[in-house]
Amino acid sequence: MRVVLAEDLYLLRDGLSRMLTAHGFDVVAAVETGPELLAALLELRPDVAVVDVRLPPTQTDEGLQAALAARREVPGLPVLVLSQHVEQLYARELLADGTGGVGYLLKDRVFNAEQFVDAVRRVAGGGMAMDPDVIAKLLARSGRDAPIARLTPREREVLELMAEGRSNSAIGQRLYLSESAVGKHTASIFGKLDLAPSDDDNRRVLAVLAYLNGAAGG
Amino acid sequence: MTTRAVRRAGLALLHGMALAGLGVPGAAALLVVHLAFFVPGFGLGLLPLVPLPILAGRPLTDLVRRLAAAGSGTPLGSPYRPRPAPLEPEADGRYPHHNRLYRHSWMPRFLRLLDWLLGDPATFRDLGWMTLTPAVGLLLGGLPVALVGAGGWYAVSAVDRHWWAVPAGLAVAVAGLAVAPWLRTRHVRWTRWWLGPTQRQPGRLRVWYGFQLLLLLRLLCLLGLSLLALPLAAISAVALVLAYGLGIVVVLPPLIQNLRWLPELRRELAGRWSGVGVESPYLPRPGLPDRRPDGRYQVGNNLYQTERWAAYNVRLRWLVRDPASWRDFGWLLLDPVVGGLSLAAPLAAIGYGIFGLAMPRLWMLVGAKPAGGTDWYASVAGVDAAAIPVGLALAALGLLAAPAVLRGNGGWTALLLAPTAKAKLALRVRRLTETRADATENQAAELRRIERDLHDGAQARLVAMGINLGNVEYLMDKDPEAARALLAEARQASAKALTELRDLVRGIHPPVLAERGLVDAVRALALDTPVRTEVTAELPGRAEQPIESAVYFAVSELLTNAVKHARAARITVDLGYADGRLRIVVADDGRGGADGSRGSGLRGIARRLGTFDGVVDLSSPPGGPTTVILEVPCALSSPRTSIS
Repeated sequence: MRVVLAEDLYLLRDGLSRMLTAHGFDVVAAVETGPELLAALLELRPDVAVVDVRLPPTQTDEGLQAALAARREVPGLPVLVLSQHVEQLYARELLADGTGGVGYLLKDRVFNAEQFVDAVRRVAGGGMAMDPDVIAKLLARSGRDAPIARLTPREREVLELMAEGRSNSAIGQRLYLSESAVGKHTASIFGKLDLAPSDDDNRRVLAVLAYLNGAAGG
Repeated sequence: MTTRAVRRAGLALLHGMALAGLGVPGAAALLVVHLAFFVPGFGLGLLPLVPLPILAGRPLTDLVRRLAAAGSGTPLGSPYRPRPAPLEPEADGRYPHHNRLYRHSWMPRFLRLLDWLLGDPATFRDLGWMTLTPAVGLLLGGLPVALVGAGGWYAVSAVDRHWWAVPAGLAVAVAGLAVAPWLRTRHVRWTRWWLGPTQRQPGRLRVWYGFQLLLLLRLLCLLGLSLLALPLAAISAVALVLAYGLGIVVVLPPLIQNLRWLPELRRELAGRWSGVGVESPYLPRPGLPDRRPDGRYQVGNNLYQTERWAAYNVRLRWLVRDPASWRDFGWLLLDPVVGGLSLAAPLAAIGYGIFGLAMPRLWMLVGAKPAGGTDWYASVAGVDAAAIPVGLALAALGLLAAPAVLRGNGGWTALLLAPTAKAKLALRVRRLTETRADATENQAAELRRIERDLHDGAQARLVAMGINLGNVEYLMDKDPEAARALLAEARQASAKALTELRDLVRGIHPPVLAERGLVDAVRALALDTPVRTEVTAELPGRAEQPIESAVYFAVSELLTNAVKHARAARITVDLGYADGRLRIVVADDGRGGADGSRGSGLRGIARRLGTFDGVVDLSSPPGGPTTVILEVPCALSSPRTSIS
């Protein structure tokens, strides 16, 4: 699987590159600035890009802007954005086009190599990987009268994990539930959130995230 | 009459009876209780007695409200203001109320209770209802019952004496039934008027009338103050003769200082009533100079042995050398003439126009003779009838001129009482000194906080991690399982250290602010606020970084306040820029009652923005809504792509 990596700190770039290579990825480019990243993404068309939000030369959200620009050119280009801080604002911008293949994680998540690599693979496959911090903030925000409030605590847990991009079986493992029990919960969640059920796993998550996105926009 | 109409009339009769039956004795009893507690409460100063009858009466008025609502279909909301928020002690454990701090909470709590009850117009409307309803309620609710009862009784008791007793009695009873619905409607309306929440808009005429009256009262008040300047000017003149003629200089400092209240009051009124802001021009009072090596104090070119004399002379020099003192004197002399005459003119025109010309002529038309003869008024150029139109025209002219006179009075006040260019400069220096002190103090406090957070947080965790890793190294061969456990622990510690650093960074300079600027940073803040928050923004560029940062933290604090203290359900934030000022309006629909002088948060915001000459304006009546306006003068640069 071909990866483009954008990170301006040498130590982190090197470490990420090593880790991804060790897990069987092919790092085709490791760049350090926004313009370089945009060029690499459009030229190399990688299977997935791992991008730091803040990049030179401006040291602002150049990585994010480059990733968004590339996705406008190549819709659905899988991008996993890493940052020292997570903002719902950025999450919503990444999700806005609704084409999937988006990840947004704290850099801390890299510590757990297995989970991180799992997230990269999910994003590459067109799925989602949202940082639990973002999800928690999104859920905390929805007001008293929001449909989210109608969910049971268990359903909220399921929704959180679903929004992170996990499959039913993965959710079942996490919560010590059978896969069919998770299925029942998800069906109930869709019912309460007025979302038409669909058998496509990825579309479900997208729908949920789009919903959260909408709820946050209020 | 159909059966339905009879039933309706009967129901109305019963409802009216219930209202009167509950309201009349209840109100009478309550009135007695109120009097029993209020007379010693207000009369003898036994204030703790005051809240008791008010609180005790509210369940009854609530009940009457519910009963009145039952008849009209629309529910009658509670008119009372919400209870004050629970009292929270300040950092030092004392309790604030208005301008005082209390060691124990019972006193401020009681005062707040009193403020709440006596500051609520609904309390007095309840009282008005209690006073009047024993008569009015009895009439409205009791009349139909009395008619029906009397008619029935007459029909039964007089049937033996007069053959027409039965039809007459029945007619009276039917009349009672017939008026019952109409009276019931009046009764309910009467009750609603007194006990319902007041949201009536006064009529246009009443607003106009009130406005004119207010205008005239202000003119009258200013006129009074202008005339008051006359004796004060006389006293000043005497004092000046004493001081400079006879050398009794001691009279000067107390005189000058004690006369300042009148010009100060006029400056304030000029701003509030005339819309002409006049700043206070007085120079700040200097402190005592440092003692010289020879133990004496130097004030000007004079040396003083004792501290007392030095202090006295410092004060004298401060007052006498302040040009504002002499301008005050000049104003005291001139204002009775210039201000007084200009203020008196419209008042005299209105007074003479109405009471001198129009009214007496009108009286004479209906035949009455005005007291005191007619020789000096009530006719114009020998034509009696002309007095009415000329009088009215004169009054109208006075009314028309009044706003201009009020504005002009502000200008006149500013002419002599506003600070001179030099005084302005001195005041500016004082303000800058203050804000600079605030800024440096803030910065020092901030650095201390960062140091402490790093020291107790990330730094300590890194040390622990280092120790753990050392142990891992040692255990790696001997006990790989234990080493693995320690490694997991070290990883957790590093994650925690990162989280702490992240929070710290957010507190120093939020990353979104660095990456996106103020508007998006405020948007991010809004998204993180657990209450529905809408942000609207129209900024043509970006402000300087320190200003963006100060405004960001101010908005952050305000959002926290709205959620925590005001318990708002909706917040709006508007960022705009006009006339060289960045203007942020944060409004919420919470319960209000925020006090800018009390909350340390708001004072902190004012201090931080003060460094940039920014101001904070708070409007938060009890019951809400709360609106805070931040204004910072600044220039905006065109949107930058680079801030490095």
